[in-house]
Amino acid sequence: MIAQIARKEFTETLRDGRFRWAAAIVFVLLFASVVMGGKHYRDVKRQHDLARAETREQWLRQPAKNPHSAAHYGIYAFKPKMAPSALDRGVDPFVGQSVWLEAHKQNEFRFRPAQDATALQRFGDLTAAAVMQLLIPLLIILLSFSTFAGEREQGTLRQLLSLGVKKTNLAWGKALGVAGALGALIVPATVIGVIALAMTSENGSLAASAPRMALMFMSYLLYFISFIGLSLAVSARAKSSQMALVILLAFWIVNGLIATRAITDIAKRLYPTPSAFAFQQAIDREMQSGPDGHDTADKRAEALKQRVLKQYGAEKLEDLPVNFAGLSLQEGEEHGNAVFDRHYGQLWSSFERQNRLKQIAGLLAPMLAIQSVSMGLAGTDFAHHRDFAAAAESYRRTLVKKMNDDTAYNAGKQDFGYLAQPALWRTVEGFRYESPSTGWALRNQTVSLAILVLWVVAILVVMPLTVAKVKID
Amino acid sequence: MSQTLTRIIKHEWKILVADRTLWVIAPLFALLIGYGVYNGSSWMRFQDATLEAAKQEERERFARAKAEVTSIEQGAQPASAFSNPRLPSVAASRTGPRYALAPPAPLAALAVGQSDLYPYYFKVTSQSKQTFTANDEIENPTNLLAGRFDLAFVIIYLYPLLILALSYNLISAEREQGTLAMMISQPVSLRTFATGKIGLRALVVLALAAGFSLAAFLLTGAGLSADGVWLRLLLWMAVVGAYGAFWFALAILVNAFGRNSATNAMALAGMWLVLALILPALLNVAVTTIYPVPSRVEMIQATRRASAEATAKGSQLLAKYYEDHPELTAGGQADTNDFYTRSIAVQDETDRLIQPVIDHFDRQATGQQSLLDRFRFLSPAVVAQSALNDIAGTGAARYRHFLGLVDAFHQNWRAHFTPRIVQKALLVADDYDRFPAFMFREEPAGAVAGRAMIGLIGLLIPALLIAWLGLRALRRYSVAQ
Repeated sequence: MIAQIARKEFTETLRDGRFRWAAAIVFVLLFASVVMGGKHYRDVKRQHDLARAETREQWLRQPAKNPHSAAHYGIYAFKPKMAPSALDRGVDPFVGQSVWLEAHKQNEFRFRPAQDATALQRFGDLTAAAVMQLLIPLLIILLSFSTFAGEREQGTLRQLLSLGVKKTNLAWGKALGVAGALGALIVPATVIGVIALAMTSENGSLAASAPRMALMFMSYLLYFISFIGLSLAVSARAKSSQMALVILLAFWIVNGLIATRAITDIAKRLYPTPSAFAFQQAIDREMQSGPDGHDTADKRAEALKQRVLKQYGAEKLEDLPVNFAGLSLQEGEEHGNAVFDRHYGQLWSSFERQNRLKQIAGLLAPMLAIQSVSMGLAGTDFAHHRDFAAAAESYRRTLVKKMNDDTAYNAGKQDFGYLAQPALWRTVEGFRYESPSTGWALRNQTVSLAILVLWVVAILVVMPLTVAKVKID
Repeated sequence: MSQTLTRIIKHEWKILVADRTLWVIAPLFALLIGYGVYNGSSWMRFQDATLEAAKQEERERFARAKAEVTSIEQGAQPASAFSNPRLPSVAASRTGPRYALAPPAPLAALAVGQSDLYPYYFKVTSQSKQTFTANDEIENPTNLLAGRFDLAFVIIYLYPLLILALSYNLISAEREQGTLAMMISQPVSLRTFATGKIGLRALVVLALAAGFSLAAFLLTGAGLSADGVWLRLLLWMAVVGAYGAFWFALAILVNAFGRNSATNAMALAGMWLVLALILPALLNVAVTTIYPVPSRVEMIQATRRASAEATAKGSQLLAKYYEDHPELTAGGQADTNDFYTRSIAVQDETDRLIQPVIDHFDRQATGQQSLLDRFRFLSPAVVAQSALNDIAGTGAARYRHFLGLVDAFHQNWRAHFTPRIVQKALLVADDYDRFPAFMFREEPAGAVAGRAMIGLIGLLIPALLIAWLGLRALRRYSVAQ
C-alpha cells in the first residue's frame, strides 16, 4: 500500500512541469558549483604548494647570518585546503590565508580573501553546500506543500480515505514519494559531481577524503528528511494549501536567512571579543611586565642571570661557558609564548563559545546545524583553522628555539657578531601539517549532529501523528 | 489625481486597517528595523571606542617620548641606540608614528557593509606601506561569513518580502472572493483600481520603513548636525523607496497574468530568490572569473623576493641613493656605512620592485569593481546593497578614499623624516609637535550623491518599466475565472 502511494506521488511529481524546471535549475547550479569548487580548490592548492616550497627554499638559501636574524626572517605558513572544501568553502574567505612565523611574535593570519573581493561576496558563495542548504529545502517545500491540503481542496482526500487507506500509510507513502522524486535529482547530481571531482583531482586526494564526503552526504540526507517531514506535517495541518505554502516559506526564510544573522549578533553580545587594538595592547603590556604587572623585564633578566650563574657555578656572565644573550632571547620567547597562549587561548575560546551558541540554535533552525556539520567535514570551519594556527605556532616556537639555542651554545663570546652557517638552516625541518582526522572533525560537531538527529526523530514522530489527525474537509 | 483614485485609496486604507495582516507585519517590521539599527550602532560605538583608545595611546606615547628627549637633551643616556627618541629614524617608526583614523561616517549605524572587513585606522610609520596596512579588526570568521543583522540586511532581503506579502494577491484575492467583478461593474478601470491599491500599500510600507528607520536612528543618539547627514538620510530613503517600488511593480506584473493567489505567491517568491540570492552569487562567480584577483600568496612571495634582492644590493643602492639625492647631503659628507640611510634606500628599492605586482593586483580589483558596477543592474538587490553601503560610508568607495588619504599622508610623513634621517639631525622635544598629523576629510557629499543617483536610476527605470508592462497587461485581465 505504502509503495503504491509512493509510486503515485513519485510519478505525479516527475510529470509536473514546475518540478522539472525547478529540478533542472537546481541540478545545473549544483553541478556548476561542484565544478567551480573543484577548480577553486585546485588553484589554491597549487598556489599554496608552490609558495610552501618557495618559502622553504628561501629559508634554506639564507647566507651565513646571525641565528636571531634568521629567526626574524622566519618563514610563511600557508593554510592547506582539503578536497571536500570544493563542496563547502565555509569560513575560508574570511580567514587570512597565511601567517608569518618570526621571532618574538605570534602573528595574526593575514589576507582574508573576502577583503579583496567585491561586496557581492556578502551575498554568499555559490557552493554545493549553499545549494543543498537553501535551494533543495525550497524544492522540497514546492514538492510537498499541497500534498494533503491540495488533495483536500480537490476532494480526492475523502475519496482516498474512503478506500480504507490508513492515514499513517498515507503519510509514509507520500513521504517516500517526495523522497523518491528528490532522489531522482540528488543521486545523479551526486554521481556526476563525484565523477567531476575525481576527474579533476590528483590521484588519492579524493579517496582520502571519501569518508568525510560520505558523512557530509549522510548529514545532508538527515537535513532533507527533516524538511520533507516538516512540509508534510504542515501540509496536513494547514487550512489550505496556500496557507501551508506561506507557513513553509516563512520557516524557510527564518531558517535560511534570518537565523544565522540574528544569532550572530546575539552571540557577539553574549561572548564579546576585544578589538584588535585592545588585544595587542594587552599583549604588549604583559610582554613588558607579566600578567600581574610586577614581573618586569628587568626583574626577569636579573632572575635569569642569577639562575644561570648558579647553574654553571660562575661569578660573572663573562665566565659562563654559554652565550648569555642566546639564553636570554629564549627566556624572552618562553615568557612571550605564555602570554600568547593566554590571550589567543581566550580569544579563540570566545569564538568557539559563539560558534557553540550557533550550533545550539540549530534547535530552532536546522540550517545552523547542517551548516556547522558541513563546514566541519569540509575542513573549512573555525576549528580546522584553529588547529592549523596552533600547528603553525608550535612550528614557529621550535624554529625560534633552535636559533636561540644555537646562539646560546655555539656563539661563545661573540653575541650579535656571531654568524651561523647555512647548515643550521637545514637542521630545521620543513613545516608539515597533517589535516585532522575525520573522527576529530566529527567530535567537534557532536552538538550539531545530535540536533540534526533530534530534528529527524521529532519530525518522524510528529509527522504521522499530524497526518493521522488530518481533516477531510 | 482623480476623485476615483482618492476614493479607492481611502477605501483600501479602511480594509487594510481592518485586516489583520498589517497589524502583524507593522510591529514585526519595527522590531526587525530596531534590532538592525541597534546592531549597526553598537558596531559603530565599538569602532569609536577603538579610535579613542588609539588617540589616547598616541598622546601618551608622545608625552613619554618628549619627556625622554628632554632628559636626554639635559645629559641623560638613552636606553639604547635603537630606541633613542632624538633620532629621526626612531621617531619616524617607533616613538612618533601617528594614527590615520577613519571615524565612522554619520550613517554608518545603518549598514555595516564592508566595514567589518576593512581596517579603519592605521599606525603610519616611515616603513613600507605593506607593514602597516594589514590591520584587520579581530572577528570570528564564522560571524563574518553569516554577516551582520543590520538595517541594510532588513531592507535588502526582508523588506521586499514584506512588500510581496502585502501585494502578491493584490487583484487575485479580489477575484477569488468575487469582489472584483462587483468592483469593475462600477465606472472604474481595473488599472485605476490596481494603481490605487498598490499606491496605498506603497505609501504605508514606505512610511513605515522611513518612520521606523528614522526613529531607530535617532534613538541610537546619532546627531543630525554632522555635515551631510540630511542629504545622506534623504538619499537613503530615496533608495529604499525606489527599491520598494521595484518589488511593488513586480507584484502588479505578476498579478496581471491572472493566475491564482498561490501561484502568484510562488512566482514572486521565486523571483525574489533569483534576484536577491542566486543572481548576486552568479554575478560574483562571473566577476571573479573574468577578473581573477591574483593570489595574495604570490604577492607575499614577490615581496619577499624583492626585499631579499634589494637587501643584497644594499651598498650599491646606498651609493646610488646619495647620487640621486644630492640635496640631502649638501654641505655634509655622505656616510657610506650609514645604516638608516641604507635602509631607506633598500626600502625604496623594494617598493619599486614590487610595484608592478601591486599594480597588477589593483588593476584586477578595479576591474572586478567596475564590472560589478556595470552588471549590478541585473539585480536590484545588488544595486540597493551597493547604494546603501555607499550612502552609509561602509562600502568600497569610502575605503578607497581613506586609503588615498593615507597614501598621501605616508608620503608626507616620509618626506618629513627622510632628510632628517640622512642628515642625522637630532630632534628636540618641540619637534614632536611639528610632525605631520593626519586629517580625515569626508568624501564630498556631492560625490556620494552622484553615485547614489546612478543607483537610484538603476532601480527606478526597471521599476517604471515593469509597472508600465503590468498596467498594460491588466487591460487584458479576465475578471471571471
